[in-house]
Amino acid sequence: MPAIHQLLYRLLISGISCLLLTIAQLQLADRGLASEPTLDSADAKSTDQQRPLNFENDIVPVLTKFGCNASGCHGKAEGQNGFKLSVFGFDPLADHKAITREGRGRRIFPASPKHSLFLEKASGDLPHGGGIRISSDRPEYETLSRWIALGSPIGSPNDPHISSIQITPHSAQLAMGQTQQLRVQATFSDGWQTDVTALATFQSNNDGLASVDDKGLVSIGKVPGDVAVMTSYLGQVDVFRALVPSERTASTNATTTEIADANFIDQHIHAKLNLLNLLPSAPSDDATYLRRTYLDIIGTLPSTAEAREFLTDASAGRREDLVDRLLERSEYADYWGLKWSDLLRVNRLELGRKNAYLYYQWIRDSFSQNKHLDRFAHELITAEGPIREQPAGLFYKVVSDPKQMASTLSQALLGVRIECAQCHHHPYDRWGQEDYYGMQAFFNDVAFKSSFQGEALVPTGTAKSENPRTGLQVAARALGEKSPAHVKSDARQQSGLRYELSGWLTDKQNPYFARNMANRIWAQFMGRGLIEPVDDVRMTNPASHPELLDALAEYLKEHDYDQHALIKLITSSITYQRSSEPNESNASDQQNYSRYPLKQLEAEVLFDAVCQTTGVSEKFAGVPEGSRAIQLWDSHVPHYFLQLFGRPMRTTACECERVGEPTVSQVLHVLNSPEIQGKLSHDNGRLAKLVQMSDETLIEELYLTFFGRPASNLERQFASEHMQKHNDRQRALEDLAWSMMNSLEFLFNH
Amino acid sequence: MNRNYCDGLQRRDMLRMGAAGVFGMGLTLPQILSGRAQAAVKGTETKEVSLIILFLQGGLSTIDTWDMKPQAPAEFRGEFKPIHTNVPGIQLCEHLPRLAGQMDKFSLVRSFGLSNSDHGPADHYLLTGYRPGGGFNGGLKPNNQRPAHGAVIAKKLGPRGAVPPYVCLPKMHNSAGSSYLGSSAAPFTVEADPNAPDFIVPDLAPPLEIDSQRLGDRRALLQQVDRFQRGTESKANRGANAMSTYQKKAFELMTSSSTKNAFDISREAEKLRDEYGRHSLGQSCLMARRLVEAGVRCVLIDHTNWDTHFDNFKVLKNDLLPHLDSGMSTLFRDLHDRGLLETTMVLVTGEFGRTPRINKDAGRDHWGPSTAIAMGGGGIQGGLVVGSSNERAEKPATTPYGPEDLAATIYKCLGIDPKTEFHSPEGRPIPIVPGNGRVIEGLT
Repeated sequence: MPAIHQLLYRLLISGISCLLLTIAQLQLADRGLASEPTLDSADAKSTDQQRPLNFENDIVPVLTKFGCNASGCHGKAEGQNGFKLSVFGFDPLADHKAITREGRGRRIFPASPKHSLFLEKASGDLPHGGGIRISSDRPEYETLSRWIALGSPIGSPNDPHISSIQITPHSAQLAMGQTQQLRVQATFSDGWQTDVTALATFQSNNDGLASVDDKGLVSIGKVPGDVAVMTSYLGQVDVFRALVPSERTASTNATTTEIADANFIDQHIHAKLNLLNLLPSAPSDDATYLRRTYLDIIGTLPSTAEAREFLTDASAGRREDLVDRLLERSEYADYWGLKWSDLLRVNRLELGRKNAYLYYQWIRDSFSQNKHLDRFAHELITAEGPIREQPAGLFYKVVSDPKQMASTLSQALLGVRIECAQCHHHPYDRWGQEDYYGMQAFFNDVAFKSSFQGEALVPTGTAKSENPRTGLQVAARALGEKSPAHVKSDARQQSGLRYELSGWLTDKQNPYFARNMANRIWAQFMGRGLIEPVDDVRMTNPASHPELLDALAEYLKEHDYDQHALIKLITSSITYQRSSEPNESNASDQQNYSRYPLKQLEAEVLFDAVCQTTGVSEKFAGVPEGSRAIQLWDSHVPHYFLQLFGRPMRTTACECERVGEPTVSQVLHVLNSPEIQGKLSHDNGRLAKLVQMSDETLIEELYLTFFGRPASNLERQFASEHMQKHNDRQRALEDLAWSMMNSLEFLFNH
Repeated sequence: MNRNYCDGLQRRDMLRMGAAGVFGMGLTLPQILSGRAQAAVKGTETKEVSLIILFLQGGLSTIDTWDMKPQAPAEFRGEFKPIHTNVPGIQLCEHLPRLAGQMDKFSLVRSFGLSNSDHGPADHYLLTGYRPGGGFNGGLKPNNQRPAHGAVIAKKLGPRGAVPPYVCLPKMHNSAGSSYLGSSAAPFTVEADPNAPDFIVPDLAPPLEIDSQRLGDRRALLQQVDRFQRGTESKANRGANAMSTYQKKAFELMTSSSTKNAFDISREAEKLRDEYGRHSLGQSCLMARRLVEAGVRCVLIDHTNWDTHFDNFKVLKNDLLPHLDSGMSTLFRDLHDRGLLETTMVLVTGEFGRTPRINKDAGRDHWGPSTAIAMGGGGIQGGLVVGSSNERAEKPATTPYGPEDLAATIYKCLGIDPKTEFHSPEGRPIPIVPGNGRVIEGLT
């Protein structure tokens, strides 16, 4: 099969080059007749056969396809060896000048195009640091050569410009190991359409599922799921989506259709699993659900007593009741306060002790009061006045550059990364510089002054920004909006523009905010965002379950952005309550929620678990005795364990700052650290008390404490054999507890 | 060029290591055997060159050391005088006398430079070959947008024996990470200063009260208790899979006597330890040699405090250069004496040079456009000077080389194809050497 695709592709390419040659000949003939060919005379009325070459339409795509203007080459800010192009060709005028005028014009030699330095370098006729990019037998070489021969025209401003590209097929169901050739068609403003497959660039959003080569041939891997392949051409993007079902097995055939749904989450998840022939894992037992919800909702292990109590509760609504109780716990505010302190960068080094604590308290209080998320965002965006009264304003002290205010808030609240657009059009999305500077303008008047009430955020100057490339002033404009924001006349506060932004953001029509919040909460529980990474929302990174994401966002809006409501919904779904044990059909599934994933405990949560299970708390520097790690508002409190397990330094708003990957050093630390051994053997610790008890009681307590579940018969048997084997009971107990602490069942949420 | 036999060991080394084994130092026989077995399994001719990077973080003033300009005006040349070395025609700083005696073992590239003069991005550029792009955040640990050289080496060549393939000491440099090469290529970090009297690699051995018998018991117990490790969960989840792989690796590290020996710097003769110098830089160099000897493929020494904005000359003369002189010179001599120099490449560099014009505080500021790097061993010839800078060391005067070219040179010497590509998380194929990197001419 691949052979046929390749053959088809070759035919396609030769077809294009024939076409190009034909156009070239026609145009040469055309120009030969005209005594003084002006570009203006050729435009507007041009037909398909007589399209004049246009630098932006015809030459820039070649430079992009062959990586000439990539950010690692001539596209980087300072260019490469004296030749500088705009990255991804966002500035065709400058590029045209660089090629035709700079270097004293030596790059272009119209009398003999192939002796142009430009072509000699690209084709490797002259030594070129970037190697042979466009060999002389390629059709693109011909295009460039012809363009030079024609006097390297820039084209007319009235030339048709690209309006869209379309990928075909748009979606397909493909089998594992199958290939699919994509075609990309460009449509220009005059309605002209042409195949640009050869010059388009391609990229898969999940290499495990499918890879794509530079000719647009998609190869499906061995993992079931769905995958998006993005193509881009002249700043336009389109996406091909493939659904890759699992191969049917006897077990999937038997039962896929008979799965019950608890709520709409399950309907969406099960519908997709059906399409993919994936059989979800069995429901989890009560003990697993207990430990899981404790860790996901309050970042804390259930205590021995809490576990015992829940496991004897036989009421029908026990799981829902449990979640209701957890949402009211103070650890809920600690844990979610910690998460948002990471994103909103509570940082003692930048703010000083007093302000950092004030800022943290505002975040934590928001969660202890269950402040609805739109209110939370509103307070953050519109903060103004004395920071003692409006501690949310401290955000603007940690992030003190208006550009970063705009991009940090976009990333945290909308899940959109606009940073690329500071320098050029976002290569994989719709954002341009106008969007970037439009967002920045909202924050350009943020300033701090000292007042009789202490330091205060007082808007100063104008909320306009300047695009440094064009030198033009840009008015405040919300992301993706056509018209600039206006301050309504009844705005009482000076931060009127930021009020407008907040109003736009929390409006129920806003396409980003509710979806982003729903996606972040979903990811916290399900281990993976419906859009992943959660803070990289873009057209070319589509959601795995778009309808589910819409429905979750809708649900959040219907409940006035109440985080509790969404948590209750998710935790009551059958999807959330599935076991983490894979079955024959879903072991390779990574993105369809057919089982609960194993999630490594975060640094603070794991350390608290160590302290709680051993019964020996830790004294952290600068906080009151008895404080737990999830209560640390300062992420710079010196602590080897927390640092080793990836506590973020809070220097960006990226979720990725919390390192999720285990390391050898982490493993060695839990195995060997004298501090942990000290907690196990502590005179006043839990083990010192347990050792007084009978083997039977002691084993029961150990399993409830460390794993939140009773020991199985087999485990009880082997553990009591172990205890009897050793004369030194303290040692035997320590070793048993140590091995529990080092097992995956302890180190992961499952 | 070295000639290696197909088992990756040189015959001369075999003899030397055999002798060393008898005297209870250096490598043990089982280790040599395991090294051979590994090479045999691979079935390819491997050129087993290791790499030691001595990174002088802050930025070594190369106009005061590797590339002196005695003819330049006083406000440029500074107060140090050049001295002759054991290679006619090459001069070094008067405060590097012992290194001058080892000049035949390493070379200098004086036409080196990079287009960045900021701590953070420049470090990343030097240690990965890639200038970081947008969104780079130097404060992250690791901050790698691209894998560090050590991570590429670990990924491509894998471990040799029980020791980890890539080690950082006495701490992890922020740009030493493995980026998209994942956890198996991440460095093993020795978070401790080998010069500390109570130096011990944290957590490499269990606490004292846990003897080897008890450790064995614990390990057996853990296997019984951990039902996920036995079940399908660990295989189906990436993080859990990595954790269980690391646990196996960790037990190997803890129980292997060669690892224990390699990290036990107190086994070195006092005299040699003195010669390396009783300071962090010197003992880190010694530790690096021990690790390479035990099979580590890349050691990155992160030595700080070279950011001499103030009192450049006083600080260099009294503190930094004496340390560099003893540590680096003894490293070259020691590697040579042990027959390890041919298979160990040593690179000494900061993230950039320093401003040729002396500032108002008698210091020098950051200067990326022109610096010099020192390299020797592992296929790099000694006693050469490649290229030159202009008369005031402001910019390269001959073909300029940069971090891309350094990357190409390192990988060539280590037998790794510079065209090797790995995929970034976005699925982009990224070569280990940027497109324009080429091997520095005349060094190999």
